[in-house]
Order: sequence, then structure tokens, then C-alpha cells
Amino acid sequence: MITIVKPGMQMSIQDQGRVGARHLGIGQSGCIDPYAQIIVNRLVGNADNNPVIEITLGLAEIKFDNDYYIALHGTDMKASVNGNAIEPGWSFYIKKGDVLKLNAARHGFRSYLAIGGQWQLPDPILDSYSTDITAGFGGLTGQALKSGDSFEVIPKYNTKVGLGAMLPPKSTQIRIHAGPHAAVLPKDTIVNFINHSWHVSPNSNRMGTRLLSDECSLEHDVSLPSMAVAPGSIQLPPNGEPIVLLNDAQTTGGYPLLGTVIDADLRHFAQLKPGDFLHFKFVTLADAFKAKEKLTAHLNQLAIALKYKNK
Amino acid sequence: MTTKSTPKIMALTTHCIFFDAYESAEHGLNTQKKIWALAQFCQSTGDFVDVVPANNNLTLYLKESEKLASWLPLLLEQWQETSTKDFASTHHKLPTVYGGQHGPDIAHVAAEHNLTVDEVAQLHSSKIYPVLFLGFQPGFAYLDGLDPKLYTPRRSEPRISVPKGSVAIGGEQTGVYPETSPGGWQIIGHTDFKLFDINATSPCAVKPGDTLEFVIQEVLK
Repeated sequence: MITIVKPGMQMSIQDQGRVGARHLGIGQSGCIDPYAQIIVNRLVGNADNNPVIEITLGLAEIKFDNDYYIALHGTDMKASVNGNAIEPGWSFYIKKGDVLKLNAARHGFRSYLAIGGQWQLPDPILDSYSTDITAGFGGLTGQALKSGDSFEVIPKYNTKVGLGAMLPPKSTQIRIHAGPHAAVLPKDTIVNFINHSWHVSPNSNRMGTRLLSDECSLEHDVSLPSMAVAPGSIQLPPNGEPIVLLNDAQTTGGYPLLGTVIDADLRHFAQLKPGDFLHFKFVTLADAFKAKEKLTAHLNQLAIALKYKNK
Repeated sequence: MTTKSTPKIMALTTHCIFFDAYESAEHGLNTQKKIWALAQFCQSTGDFVDVVPANNNLTLYLKESEKLASWLPLLLEQWQETSTKDFASTHHKLPTVYGGQHGPDIAHVAAEHNLTVDEVAQLHSSKIYPVLFLGFQPGFAYLDGLDPKLYTPRRSEPRISVPKGSVAIGGEQTGVYPETSPGGWQIIGHTDFKLFDINATSPCAVKPGDTLEFVIQEVLK
């Protein structure tokens, strides 16, 4: 049994999310950094799409009523069990009754916890265990995990202690594709968006990272017919403060788009916390392909390394 | 309708295509019917994970980004071969109780337009509303064709909680709240018809292109 003692700022059960129902208004959900999710699952011997716990900011505690292999990755939350450090990116063996304690993240925002074994959760909804916090379904209760929530994980011991894996590097330069609305927005809107750096507003959440700038204003009064939006769509509401939509975003919207974050760079938004600076850069479709291939290669290398080490 | 401007087609990412027919000369419900037909065709090819119609536009999410280059020209060809008759829709009847505790704003809507509560219920239930698209929240249908006599601005103070099944008017639109949620529309009635049930095999009862009709069960005073 896994029991949430203290959930901290926000903790939720996520996998790679839902697809195939966007036309019904059902959003994606899922881990904001799907690469961290895959990596921690591999370290504990789980399938890639096994659910994990996404932990925001830290200051959390989780109790284990069995022996398990676990792995944490994402930002360093100075985690420990019985005073022993649980370093991000390594597999650990923990004992029945142990409590995993997480301190506050300093250099990032989110961490992902994998627990080796079979997670006993309510039936998946549209093939996914992800919690859709906005709509209120999926995961354990349809909500973020609360103090006292518990669920069973039947342990599997098919990994080793001390397996390690790196995450692909962090970046605050976000590569984007051009959007469809450059011509309808006031002149220089796109240029100003690209030429200035932005910081993350405290109003950001899993629906979207809201951006602020002290140096430029992108206010406008353009209203457009609704179109589909998805994680990565960069909306510009009339107040001129861009929103990079993330996994819990709605499926349609009427604000003009400044562009779309390339697939490979969406994971960076898992680690951007209020106050962090970032800036945007246009790239070609070919660049985006290459960036994605690089991440796939990272995962492939890990698969080969783990196969060798587990022999 | 002699001049027809060509829809705009654009790759938004390596696996996402935006098809926009809003600027075409006959934009409106006829274009939307073609959008639904095109969506149905694209869905049937199995090349897409998601096909999302919105207001006279369609966004397509590819399974494999390798197919992006071939789909860009194919969409336009397919659009030109698509007719408004290519889409078969399903009609849904929603038994609705108007007024009373279920429609706390119906008197306000009536007063706004010098109508009686009965007339509001009559006007609202005498139309067949096409589902243009879904969005905002799971199962929320954007409906076309509210009688202009019922256009009513949203409430100045949104309600913190609008009950699931509330039938409401917001500006030039009408709709049903699929789940209890905050909302600023004028609530005129209630239907037990389940638009959204996450535990059902197909959680949304209606899909883009279907038609809805509100059937008066009772008008409460």
C-alpha cells in the first residue's frame, strides 16, 4: 500500500495521457515531462506508460507499506528515506514502513516518482490512468492526491539498486513553430514576443504557463472563430499576457496563437516555476523533427544500457 | 456564391495540420457541414489520433509525423470533392423542464424581450440545433441557431456552481452544462439527458454534426 502523508503543493497520478477524444472536449492530461516519466518507469522495471506520481514543488511525504523499488527524476527535491538521500535518476530499494520525504525544489518545479509493480487503480478512462484535475476524473479519485489517499501497488522486483539515468538537458530557450495568426495581430506583436524574455506568472498551473514581461506589451482586440488548441499552443488573450497551454488545457479556444512549442521542448515547462525567465525562438519543421529524434535516441540508448546492466 | 476563396492549410507542428475555411465565401453552417464530412473522412483513414472540428475549421493530429507532407495537399483535394450532403448526423431529443427552481433566470430572459415564460420555452424548444463542435469542458456542445429573440447577455455575476444538466443562454448561444461547474449563462431549464458520463463506453452522447432538440416536459411557474 502507498499512502500520501503530505501531498505538498500538488501531487497527481499521471501516465502519457489520453488521445482520441479531443473532438468531444476531453483533453490530454498526462505528465508534463513524458521523458522523465518513461525514464523513472524503466529504472524500476515498469512498462513505459505505467502511471507515476507527478510531484509539484515538493514539501511532501509518501509512506510505503511494502518493500519496493522506486525511482525519482525531474528536479532535485532533496528527497530522503530514514535520513538517507534518494538522489534523482537512480533506482532505490525501500523497506516496508519507510517514508519518502521531499524538501522544496530549488532549481525546478516537478519531479516524477515511479514505484515498481502493478498499480491497483480504478479502471482507466479512455485507456489512460491520468488524472484530469480540471474535469474531475481519472487517477485515484479524479482529483489531485490528498493527505490520507492510499492505493495498492503489487510489488515487482525485476530491477536492481543503483541503476542510473540522465534526463535530456534543461533549457529556457523554447523552440516554436510559426502560428496561423501573425497577419491578424497588431504589427510587431510576433517580433516583440520573440525579442523579449518572459517570466512565469504565479497563476500558472497544469492548464498552462502564463507569461509576463515588464518590457513589452502585446495587448490587442482581435477576436477569432474558435479553433482546436493543444499542449504547446501559445495563446494571446487581449490583455497581452501569453499562455503556453499544457496538458490539462481545454480543447478549443478563440484567442489568437503566437505559435506552437515544438514537441521536444514541451517537457521544459515541467520545470519552469513562477519567476523563471524564458525566451522563444522560431525553428523549422526539420529542426523540430531533429530535436524529437534526439530525444528518441536518448531513450533508445537508455534501453540498451539497462538491458546490459540488468543481465 | 460565385467566388470561393481556397481554405488555408498550415502545418502547426510536425504532426498537426490546421485547415481553415472560415474566410471562404460561404462561411457558416454549409461550410461547417463540409468540415464535419471532411473530419469523418480523415477519421476513417486511420492516420490521425485526433480530428477536431471547431468554427469552420478543422485541426488534425497525425499518428506519424512522416505523413505530414503527403496530407497537406491531400486535404485540399478532399475538400473540393466533399459535399454538404456527405455527413450523416444523429438527432437527439432532450426532455426539458423549463422555469421554476430549474430555470432561475427564465423570468429575467422573458422580461428582457417582453415575452412570457411560456413563450421563452416555446421559442427555445421549437428549433433544431446543430452541434457545431465540442469544447470548453468535456461534452460541452456549441449549438447553432438560437432564435435572435432569445439573445440575452451573460449574467453580470457568474454563478459559482451551475448544476449539471442546466439548459442555458449566453449571448447569442444556447447550451447544456454537461457537469456541475461555474458558469455565467442565464439558466432557463434543466434536462436529465446525460451529455457526458465518464463511465460510459463512449462518454459523450453527442458528437460534432449531431442535432439537438429540446422537448418541453413541463413549464414551471
